[in-house]
Amino acid sequence: MMPRWIPAALFLLLGLLVPAVSQRSARGNTATSENRPVTFNRDIAPIMFQRCVACHHTGEAGPFPLLTYEDAKKHAQQIAVVTGMRLMPPWLPEPGEFSFADDLRLSDEQIALFQNWVQQGAIEGTPADLPPKPEFVQGWYLGKPDLVLNAEKPFLLPASGTDRYWNFILHVPINDTRWLKAIEIKPGDKRLVHHANILVDRTQSARRKESEPGAGFAGMEIRIESELFDPDSHFLFWKPGSVPYVEPDGMAVRLDKGTDLVLNVHLQPSGKPEMIRPTVGLYFTDKPASKHPMLLQIENDAKLDIPPGEKNFLVTDDFKLPVDVDLLAIYPHAHYLGKEMQAIASLPDGTQKRLIYIKSWDLNWQAVYRYAEPVFLPAGTTISMRYSYDNSTENTANPNNPPQRVRAGNRASDEMAHLWLQVLPRTERPQQVDPRMLLQEALARHNLKKDPADFEAHYNLAAMLQAKGNLPDAVTEYQLALRIRPEDVVANNALGGALMASGHLDEAIPYLTTALKGRPDYFDAHYNLGNALASRGDFSAAVDEFRAAVRINPEDADAEANLGSALAETGHVSEARLHLERALKINPRHALARENLDTIERGSGIR
Amino acid sequence: MVSVWRTFTCLLLLCGLSSAQEHVFDLSGKHVDPFQASSGKLLVLVFVRTDCPISNRYAPKIQRLSAQYQHDARFWLVYPDKTESPAAIQRYLGDYRYKLPALRDPQHALVKRGQVQVTPEAAVFDRQGQLVYHGRIDNWYQSFGRARLAPTTHELEDAIRATRSGSRPEVTASNGVGCYISDLE
Repeated sequence: MMPRWIPAALFLLLGLLVPAVSQRSARGNTATSENRPVTFNRDIAPIMFQRCVACHHTGEAGPFPLLTYEDAKKHAQQIAVVTGMRLMPPWLPEPGEFSFADDLRLSDEQIALFQNWVQQGAIEGTPADLPPKPEFVQGWYLGKPDLVLNAEKPFLLPASGTDRYWNFILHVPINDTRWLKAIEIKPGDKRLVHHANILVDRTQSARRKESEPGAGFAGMEIRIESELFDPDSHFLFWKPGSVPYVEPDGMAVRLDKGTDLVLNVHLQPSGKPEMIRPTVGLYFTDKPASKHPMLLQIENDAKLDIPPGEKNFLVTDDFKLPVDVDLLAIYPHAHYLGKEMQAIASLPDGTQKRLIYIKSWDLNWQAVYRYAEPVFLPAGTTISMRYSYDNSTENTANPNNPPQRVRAGNRASDEMAHLWLQVLPRTERPQQVDPRMLLQEALARHNLKKDPADFEAHYNLAAMLQAKGNLPDAVTEYQLALRIRPEDVVANNALGGALMASGHLDEAIPYLTTALKGRPDYFDAHYNLGNALASRGDFSAAVDEFRAAVRINPEDADAEANLGSALAETGHVSEARLHLERALKINPRHALARENLDTIERGSGIR
Repeated sequence: MVSVWRTFTCLLLLCGLSSAQEHVFDLSGKHVDPFQASSGKLLVLVFVRTDCPISNRYAPKIQRLSAQYQHDARFWLVYPDKTESPAAIQRYLGDYRYKLPALRDPQHALVKRGQVQVTPEAAVFDRQGQLVYHGRIDNWYQSFGRARLAPTTHELEDAIRATRSGSRPEVTASNGVGCYISDLE
């Protein structure tokens, strides 16, 4: 049901609309100064067709259509007021040095036309002046998707109350790695959805938050666990009126077998109960990713401690880039107290470039902004986040009345100071260290300087050190992370793994056991513990762990191969054979399984 | 001079009454005079539109207030958009779980009598049919796109409570935020 708006698409391709609009506006103004009245057909319809009707037509997010004179006349004064306030069309950034794709901002001349049109009596004008009405293609914007995913269970949005944030988990039923070039999000009734965001969950970590499978879960912000270095790379974002974004060649998103997509939806009650059941269309490409962007999160949540009544609470952060990058997109994020938000790049040569400036933040109209052209930022550039917050009663959106002390957190009544940047590191030599790892390491060290008790920064730094082969320092960082959150299952497992890799088997086992105490169905921890026990020669205990791993993930060839090998060591040869054969069925090129099976067969005299 | 003036006032009042009777309809198309039909109770007219998102969001509150004060006040929903069909309004009442009677006011007779300007706004009349309050339901919306988490003033409810006990509301007029009724003329 995402209709295609042909003139908009043509505009994006040809880049002709902006000159056409300003010409039209100029003509309109001239007409006014010559006492020719502003009319809908000549002056207003062209702006509406370009800037408003993508949302304001039936089935879309706008609460009423604006396709005809009659439609517009019924809301004429309202249109003059909301365009005059720059509330509509919704577009938060002020114009600046860099332009964004799909900029919806009206010019001052266009706003004046709306005002004049209403003041002069909202005249229809001559039919011959009316430009052709935009056409909307019903159905999927990019044609039939390769795969359609439906939320298992709908969410019931109550008729009234505060805004709701709901997460739907969409399992991607694929057997091999696929490359995603575009995703179309149909978040449900678009009139109710302010924005939607998809996170790629490769380890099915979000499912643990569901009360029952498929139920979804509440929450404004979610954290996806990842044990391998596989940073988020793409913004998969929907806002009213947006059309699906097709990734450039070579920038497809990797989806593996077992991946979940977590769709986070911001909903506003409409006055009547509504069922929300999103659908997502996936479009694949055969071209694997050759460019690897990364989402960099600059933040300073630790500084968020806003006294009640404070009108201008400042939070800043300054991060120096360790590598050259192209900045592709930017996503400033705060909750309801956010006021003024800007990001500035200070280049090594001393020049400053404002990356984005939002004079008046409005959570309801948050968006990802993609630069019309990538912005090159050389290594050594400092990116500065400058946010202010209004925790007084003057801020209508203040979730507390009377205002309360507000700190960082995931609830709508908490605050956030985040600036997300999608950057594409420039690499000179492909054999160099993955520049995303350098970014991640620099970011972790930067965050630890601000807040030595930042669990995630210790964890991420440890993971980067481990990936670089610096095991002693990795172990130290994991230990520091665990000092902050001793029960964290992922960190316990990671420290266990790092200790094993350093040859400290006995030290590793207690951490892996702690991880399993916290999460008995933790595949990785069972697998690691099985390996640790096997390496120590305790094969029967190892068999138990590998059995548990195989029960949790029957499709893992390594776990099957290790189970088979451990069984063979304990003398259960025929059962061992079954599991080694199973490993080879999953992965016919599994060397260890092949080798051990050959050994068994030689030993049993079959061959 | 005085008597002429008095006659003039009287004529105006009659005009108002007569236009309400002639141009206000229920959803079956029958003329309805809510002033007569509300005998002995306060009359609360709540002006709404099916295509006005702000008045839609108020539906649960309007319904709740009408139930809460049903012994003292007779509530009516008033639809001032002449292009809204009775069938569309009927569907809308079901969708929004309204249990209130609805009136169509295509000539804006009730709009004028209630002195309202946007949807949603309410007009409260005392038992004698005198307008005692007109304006917003509460201050939930400060302006377009700027809604409070919850309203901090409750003008309509305050007006009903005051009038029911025979006193004059502290606030007798206010401006609502929503869709301009004059755009429908």
